[in-house]
Amino acid sequence: MDEPLASDEHLARLMARAQQGDTNAYITLLRAITPRIRQLVRARHRFLGDGDVEDVVQEVLLSVHAVRATYDPARPLMPWLSAIVRHRLADAGRRHVRQGAHEIGVDDLDVTFQAPAANSREETFGDPEALSQAIQALPPGQRQAVELLKLRELSLKEASALTGMSIGALKIATHRAITSLRRALRAGNDE
Amino acid sequence: MRTDELIDRLGRDVAVAQPLPAPGIRTAMWTVWAASCLVVGGVVMLAIMSSAGVTPGPLHLVQQGAALVTGILAARAAFVSVIPGWNNRVWLLPAIGTAVWGVLLLWGGLRDLRALGTLGLTSQSDWPCVVSMTVGGLVVGAPLVWMLRRGAPLTPGLTAFLAALAALSFANIEACLARPHMFALTVLLWHGGTVGAVAALCAVTGRRWLRWPDLTTQ
Repeated sequence: MDEPLASDEHLARLMARAQQGDTNAYITLLRAITPRIRQLVRARHRFLGDGDVEDVVQEVLLSVHAVRATYDPARPLMPWLSAIVRHRLADAGRRHVRQGAHEIGVDDLDVTFQAPAANSREETFGDPEALSQAIQALPPGQRQAVELLKLRELSLKEASALTGMSIGALKIATHRAITSLRRALRAGNDE
Repeated sequence: MRTDELIDRLGRDVAVAQPLPAPGIRTAMWTVWAASCLVVGGVVMLAIMSSAGVTPGPLHLVQQGAALVTGILAARAAFVSVIPGWNNRVWLLPAIGTAVWGVLLLWGGLRDLRALGTLGLTSQSDWPCVVSMTVGGLVVGAPLVWMLRRGAPLTPGLTAFLAALAALSFANIEACLARPHMFALTVLLWHGGTVGAVAALCAVTGRRWLRWPDLTTQ
């Protein structure tokens, strides 16, 4: 919650004391000018989000700290402060444009790599009907091996017990079935 | 870091920061330095270089007076440009000074044409002056840059340009006094070209050496 705005004379007195090394006066001054800076930043750069506004406010506070010796206590404080805010805002605007030219904001990155084969969603075949037809077209031994090991997800031992085929024969049948399916589905995609 | 934390941290780090003297006073301080360099440099240059047998006339001295005024105005404008809240048309007076200086040199060129029948564009090259002005400008300008860095780099390009103009105006006087030129247009092209090129270079690179504090290094 922003505090009520202090008068310019009061701020000028605080700054004069801060220039003499008065810590309390300096902290009071910075707390008093922060809402004003925030107000100026929001008014002039409406496109900035809350985080960006706070970044600029902090940059202005750092700038005030770095160049506080340039303030003449005989002059009003607000024109001095406004000039710093205006120039820091111009810097922030330039930075915003520069970053915008080189960066793209992405809320949800749904691909991990550029190549389609590297993306996890590509591991699921998109056409179940074609896959079903390709499996039906396999020789009986290969079709049975695929159905038991890949669709019903039985172990090699269980599949061997059910079919009476050796584990080695099941491995070979599955390998050949997968190769045939890949070839058949790729040919279907190319058409 | 949250803003409140930053304020507490800055408050803890606060030390005495005496207000900078007014731009006019800072200009006077720097002018004393530049004038000292001018005298010393002029004496040294006279000792090691020939004067080309040219005696400076009244117009020549008026031209150097214009360069001197331009240098002082440019230095004051540079000091003003690093004070937040001052007039942002600080470049106006040095621009007028530069224009007057240029017009005086052009007038000198026309006088040369009438008196000698030539502008002398091809008769004199002036590389020694380019070198001496660049080196002299560095010597005269280094304290100016140091003083400017204590200010706020609101317009670093403009400040750097004005600083270079100030330093090279003085360096130009030194070069002209130590090595008087027969043709005014030689001065305009070679000295003016050096001032323009170095000032433009400073304006382009000013943002690199007149910088705000970095948020991440605090």
